[in-house]
Amino acid sequence: MNESIEIPEPTTHFPGIGVSTDQGLLQWISSVDHKMIGIMYLLMASLFFLLGGVEALLMRIQLAIPDNHFLGPETYNQFFTMHGTTMVFLVGMPAVLGFSVYFSPLMIGANEMAFPRMNSFSLWISFFGGCLLYFSFLAGGAPDVGWFNYAPLSEKNFSISQGIDYYSLGLLLSGIGSVSTAINLIVTIINYRIASLALNRLPLFVWMVFVNSFLIIAAFPSLNAALAMLLLDRQFHAHFFNTMNGGSALLWQHLFWIFGHPEVYILILPSFGILSEVFQVYSRKPIFGYAFVAASSVAIALLAFGVWAHHMFAVGMGNTVNAFFSAGSMLIGIPTGVKIFNWLATMYGGKIQFTNSMLFAIAFLFEFTIGGLTGIAFSIVPIDWQLTDTYFVVAHLHYVLIGGTFFGLFAGLFYWFPKMTGRKLDEKSGRWFFWLFVIGFNATFFVQHILGIIGMPRRVYTYPNLPWYGILNMVSTAGAFMMGASVLLLFYMILKGVRRGKEVGSDPWDAFTLEWYTQSPPPLKNFDDVPAINSPLPLWQLKYGSNSKNNEDEKGQ
Amino acid sequence: MMKLVVGTEAMFFISLIMAFVYMAYNSGFEPYQVKALDIKTTGIFTLFLFASSFTFWRAEKNYRKGKINNLKTWLIATIILGSIFLFGQGKEYWRLVQDNITLNGSVFGTSFYTLTGFHGFHVFVGLIILLIILIMSFLGDFDKENSTVVSTVGIYWHFVDVVWVFVFTVVYVLPKFTNT
Amino acid sequence: MLYLRIIFLLQSVENPASQEADKINRLFNYFNVAAAGMLLLVGFLIVYICVKFRQRKGDTNTPISTKQNKKLELFMIGGPFLLLVFFFYQTVTVMNSVSPSQDPKGKHPDVIITGHQWWWQVEYPNAKVITANEVHLPVGKPLLLEMRSADVIHDWWVPELGNKMDLIPGNKNYLLLNINKTGSYIGACSEFCGAQHAWMRIHVIAQTQTDFNNWLAENGKSARQPHDSLAITGALLFQTKTCANCHRIQGTAATSNAGPDLTHLAERDELLTGLMANDSANLFKWVDQPQEVKPGAHMPDFKFKKDTVNAIVHYLLELK
Repeated sequence: MNESIEIPEPTTHFPGIGVSTDQGLLQWISSVDHKMIGIMYLLMASLFFLLGGVEALLMRIQLAIPDNHFLGPETYNQFFTMHGTTMVFLVGMPAVLGFSVYFSPLMIGANEMAFPRMNSFSLWISFFGGCLLYFSFLAGGAPDVGWFNYAPLSEKNFSISQGIDYYSLGLLLSGIGSVSTAINLIVTIINYRIASLALNRLPLFVWMVFVNSFLIIAAFPSLNAALAMLLLDRQFHAHFFNTMNGGSALLWQHLFWIFGHPEVYILILPSFGILSEVFQVYSRKPIFGYAFVAASSVAIALLAFGVWAHHMFAVGMGNTVNAFFSAGSMLIGIPTGVKIFNWLATMYGGKIQFTNSMLFAIAFLFEFTIGGLTGIAFSIVPIDWQLTDTYFVVAHLHYVLIGGTFFGLFAGLFYWFPKMTGRKLDEKSGRWFFWLFVIGFNATFFVQHILGIIGMPRRVYTYPNLPWYGILNMVSTAGAFMMGASVLLLFYMILKGVRRGKEVGSDPWDAFTLEWYTQSPPPLKNFDDVPAINSPLPLWQLKYGSNSKNNEDEKGQ
Repeated sequence: MMKLVVGTEAMFFISLIMAFVYMAYNSGFEPYQVKALDIKTTGIFTLFLFASSFTFWRAEKNYRKGKINNLKTWLIATIILGSIFLFGQGKEYWRLVQDNITLNGSVFGTSFYTLTGFHGFHVFVGLIILLIILIMSFLGDFDKENSTVVSTVGIYWHFVDVVWVFVFTVVYVLPKFTNT
Repeated sequence: MLYLRIIFLLQSVENPASQEADKINRLFNYFNVAAAGMLLLVGFLIVYICVKFRQRKGDTNTPISTKQNKKLELFMIGGPFLLLVFFFYQTVTVMNSVSPSQDPKGKHPDVIITGHQWWWQVEYPNAKVITANEVHLPVGKPLLLEMRSADVIHDWWVPELGNKMDLIPGNKNYLLLNINKTGSYIGACSEFCGAQHAWMRIHVIAQTQTDFNNWLAENGKSARQPHDSLAITGALLFQTKTCANCHRIQGTAATSNAGPDLTHLAERDELLTGLMANDSANLFKWVDQPQEVKPGAHMPDFKFKKDTVNAIVHYLLELK
């Protein structure tokens, strides 16, 4: 059975990962091919990852000892703001969207996304937004009010430098890129699936990307509205957040967190999808509870809009409101956290292969559990009342964002690198990277839980010489440098892998989803023909026969 | 696709309406500011906007039946009606500014101009898009009835209309009947 | 070099010193137990599964299919759900017993704290006392603190005394405190409020009712009159060199609260909201070059002559 979508494109050789093509760099910059755009998103994420990482290391040097004078307050405040903004908007989003855009079409048997030119537009406007944000360093100072930019501190009378205007414009532009990519993904997944693939049989990665895209479309407008209002306040003297003229400081917080909370789910859902695929392949078993895992993403997406004010428990909204958001926040922990047990059950009874990708996936289970549990701590309002805005939060957010999102992305990197480049990354160096990174990560952030409990607030450029503060901060700084070193190793590994990695065929891992059905890297036209499958694990059916019972054959799936 | 665009823009307007309502209850609007709004005149111009949705619906219907000349006529009517609405908005703004109700003069001004302004901007963008497809129809791009462009644009134009229903209700109608 | 006289107290959430902090601490400990249990379970499962089900050498790659197990799924969801029900109940109970309603109607606060960039204005409305930064409170009775802000959002947090509360411009927030034992408690502003957020520390001195009453009475008095010639010069310079435009000294013409009240400055342990110890060397450095000491602070570099600074410092240190 041949089902394919004819695309009027030249079926010439895919340029591969190098720039030695007929037209070199121009072919990359002008590309509307979803695979090249996906790779460029990942490159953008890598570039900003380095920048954000340098900012973090400089911050950690300043915090290594009490009462330090390495960085003054003005500089430090710009760095912590830019570090957060960079990592969330210019690393997390592009990385997540890069994998989404590269692999969603492949996994549903499509040859391209619905709107290739808009795909390219989204990439470049995101990149431009990032450049605009970083230009602020040269234009009088980067934004220095924190990545969530609370009013009225962000108003003109308290923040004269133009950093915040650059922040607003840069994020508006990047946001447009994210929303248009999300629209593109939804239309692609709905309309470009091969005809036999039903929506409730999507591979879990595609399912997560699908739900995630709806989240993006619904959440970003709130941020856009808030940024537009802030710009009106700052440039045209409007009074949205200007408390001296009747404006409301809390309005900014509501608008921001109505975006901000779904944003963190936007950053984690695709990683959940990657991990679901990775666990299946390297345990040689289908996911335990496909329906629950798929449905949990929908539950998260809906609940995500009912928990935002848990970032505002200390602003005095009243205990009824607090209770409502507390309940919501606890509830959302269930679809988020129970998946850990689903993945464990997937591994149970399987044949576990400890590839580098799988190592990150397993490490994720532990690290994300820590991050998730501290998150539940914050949903308990009185505990939040002690620990919010302290280093306990910093620890929590890094455990879920690095231990969660990034570990998922690393698992995806090691898993999909052969597909994207036709070469494997060196397993041994990968082990070194894994252990260096994981040990460094835990050294950096575990002690921050303790720092929060013993009273260290966040966003401080220095701190007094109180007992244990110095030592714990020093450990944290040491861990950070370990992470930094491991990241250098990672980049070296990737460069080496691209040039001299061991070449592989279309399916080096003996995997189960459609991207492995085509070459590595896939040609410009992904598939000439695709078998008529209807399963989240289509290659399983093909390679190991549809006699073998797997979850899809059971009723209720 | 346009439905998704409409979805995301709807969330944007919900945020703006939320801000307006929040301001009304938080710091409150001065009674003289609310009184300054001219519900009757704006109401009449609102009818022009609703009419433009009707004319666009006619345009689409005719396009489906292949009557391209009618398509062009109804499109022109839509553009004219939409422009009249924008003109009315402009007149209202001018009058209010003369009465010293400005963006930076008060919380009312801030939220009023932002909410209605973004709506007006969306109408303006819609008019440009309508102009483009009008020109395309003159160039013969719609001689066959198998294009989805007209219905797609229709979703956007009707959306702009629906948003105005909500904005008009929240800004003009409700404050007259409640004590904000 | 900036030298901070260290108060060696382990100011920590695990060291509760008020009724509110006690309740929160108990709940936090329940949580820690449950979370540790959950983490151990997950950790154990990971290790066990990885060891038991690792792919052995020579094993084929043929994947293993599985059956559904709805009962296990239900248990996996139900278990955590029940735990959460327990914690939600605790949340509501502790929340309501620790925090007063935030409705300003009918409230008669014992202390009104107004946050400024980067210092605390402290008022005792019943005794009509206004002071800055060092907060004295009586132990053993419920106190209502009202939180306001003069500029941006700040946050009051003393870990040993319980929950934090934001200070939001345009709003009034309320905090309940019933301190158990006398002592010195430190905390910090916990909402980023600008350049010197890091040095907006909090120092609460909890005293017996008697001691507190004495302190309050002393602080209600106007400033001591300068006696020696240097102090008299300093007092005059204070008024003429525009210090009086920002800093209140009760009993003089200086009444502004743009900057901290200085009426009884010499009594305080620290300067600059926890940045340094209160002694003449430090005070000299501050008055001489504020932007060197606490860059970004709203006190400009006046570029006074050294003699001027000397006189002013001498005067201020007599204000007991």
